[in-house]
Amino acid sequence: MLALLKRYRELLLVAALLVVPLGVFFAHAKKPTERSGVDRAIVWFLTPVERALGWTVRSSLEGWRGYVALRGSHDRAMEFSRRVNVLTLENQQLLSEREEAARVRRLLAFAETTPERTHVGARVIGVRLGPIGLQLLTLDRGADDGVARMMPVVVADGVVGRVHAVTARTADVLVLTDRNSSIAVRVERTRARANVRGLGKPDAARLDYALRAEDMMEGDRLVTAGTDGVFPRGLPVGKVTKLAPNPHGLFQDALVSPAVDPTRVEEVLVVTRWERTGEVQPAAYVPEAKK
Amino acid sequence: MKPLAHVAFALLLAAVQASLLRWLGGGALPVALLAACLVHQGLHGGNVDGAVASAGIGYVLDLVSGTPKGLMTFLAVAVFLLVRGASVAVDVRGRAAFGLLSGAAALAMAVGALLLVRYTSPAETAPGLRLVPRALLEAVLTGLAAPALAPALRRIDGLFHREEPGLLR
Repeated sequence: MLALLKRYRELLLVAALLVVPLGVFFAHAKKPTERSGVDRAIVWFLTPVERALGWTVRSSLEGWRGYVALRGSHDRAMEFSRRVNVLTLENQQLLSEREEAARVRRLLAFAETTPERTHVGARVIGVRLGPIGLQLLTLDRGADDGVARMMPVVVADGVVGRVHAVTARTADVLVLTDRNSSIAVRVERTRARANVRGLGKPDAARLDYALRAEDMMEGDRLVTAGTDGVFPRGLPVGKVTKLAPNPHGLFQDALVSPAVDPTRVEEVLVVTRWERTGEVQPAAYVPEAKK
Repeated sequence: MKPLAHVAFALLLAAVQASLLRWLGGGALPVALLAACLVHQGLHGGNVDGAVASAGIGYVLDLVSGTPKGLMTFLAVAVFLLVRGASVAVDVRGRAAFGLLSGAAALAMAVGALLLVRYTSPAETAPGLRLVPRALLEAVLTGLAAPALAPALRRIDGLFHREEPGLLR
């Protein structure tokens, strides 16, 4: 028997290695068992190995990403910086064009609300608003485009001024805040008459010939009266500010805040023709004859 | 000692495999590198040494894969015997053949484990045949990676190779 075992010991060992685990498996398959002390010891041995390997791989990857992969990143950063600058400039350009388009849309809408008038659109190409001399805006349209002296210049917010001098390709506009500008106005609320005269600075004008007896208050809106032969009636001119009733004179004093800030105007409409309905025309003003 | 060295190597390899797979696809790519160890035992190990080493490797597999005790041990010894039988019938040489055999061993172990667990588990928890494509992928990847392990396995064998004095080579 012993000789038989000795003779087939290898075969028996292999068979045991095959059968015993299978038996163990079938014995434990239905009910999972906890790990034994040996199992736990082996897993304990494995844990630091896995941790060390993980640390090595992670460190290698971080080293790669942090140093090797950054090669040339300075050049890329410079390139990106340049592109950001270019894109920022383009963005500013687009924003500027969008704002310009919005302004032009407003002008167009304003022009379409008054079909009885014909307009020439113009762009402001020069500004001379210094305290010495006339307060002028230079437009890129002139006599060749149908622009003539004394024509009103407006934007959607109101009156800018009138054409003062014309060349073939350009026109100078005397803004309403110039000392030589005087516009016949009415108080929108009470229809009281007065004149708005410039003070020589872009942000203020004064109210002339406003009768002391007239009902007027600060904040009243002033619109063109249409009686000066230059401006059509009903265009916003400004608002009454700092009203100072004069107890002795015929008139009351007031300052006017213009409806249009001439320092911010970029596109304007020159009113080349409009229907005068019952407005007093000065004898000297004949636009057709001027042309 | 040689079987013990192979089991220790298998243990180390299991740890390396777990660590690398964590970084390579987060476990999406299955691979069974220990199948290559079994194939090496089947091809180059002795009957007893190889069987003992295979059982040890199977025990490591049981431990790291969380399968019921004895399952992978039995399958490892079975694979060892199959490879041994194959090596008798076919002369397996070269890295490609080693890889091919390792892939087949991985597939056999995966399918064998699947069937045995399916047989012993309740129907609601039994693994389905949907795992077969993953087992095939595991076999392919194992077959591709196994040739890289062959030098290390041969070196372990070399550690226990005793030169006989006076023998001409």
